[in-house]
Amino acid sequence: MSLTINELAEKIAALDPSEQEALIERVAELNFQRGLETFSQKYRERLTQEKKINQKADEVMAELEKIRQEIAADDYRT
Amino acid sequence: MTTGHNWVVLDTNVWIFGFRNQPEHPACSQVLRRLNRLYVKVPRQVLLELRANLSEKEMSELFRLLGHYPDRIDIRWDKAEMELVRKYQKLGCKLGDAVIAAHVEEMNVRILISENRDFLEEIKGLPFRVLNAEDLLRELESIK
Repeated sequence: MSLTINELAEKIAALDPSEQEALIERVAELNFQRGLETFSQKYRERLTQEKKINQKADEVMAELEKIRQEIAADDYRT
Repeated sequence: MTTGHNWVVLDTNVWIFGFRNQPEHPACSQVLRRLNRLYVKVPRQVLLELRANLSEKEMSELFRLLGHYPDRIDIRWDKAEMELVRKYQKLGCKLGDAVIAAHVEEMNVRILISENRDFLEEIKGLPFRVLNAEDLLRELESIK
């Protein structure tokens, strides 16, 4: 059963303020989690195109370590 | 000490393994899904490393997402104090690792989450704990 926006608003407005607050927080949380999942999915699609998606964790870790040292060397050049 | 109201720093590997859904590190994705329940500081070195791994568009999208929780996710572009960086170098850290340790100490963060088992392992007397993502989830479960 689907509700119209107005019907939904009526139902929400009938809730206690604390329930309304909890509901708003939960909606924000779901939006955040879905946004993060979409972000992650797009990132993985790019890695697939670049044929990097199947890299093993050790390989990824080694690349990250290399990048870490390069960035720090550049950022803290004396 | 629990992670409840303590700020944590997530090492770059936690972010990247989480985004990748890296099968060897499933806890990283779970940690990212719970970001809105943590207090996370993101220091400059991690930001620069994320920027090196993400496209400009991806980076903007990530900032937009993290911006949902400005009270819980603190993005810090300031450089670590050179004196602290040198301190960790003298203790045996490579420059990049010294920068991360310096950031964590400087921000008074008590917990660094990293999937690198050896990270800072040999450094004695660290002013913060190094946990992996699975440890963090366990601690979060214990304080439910």
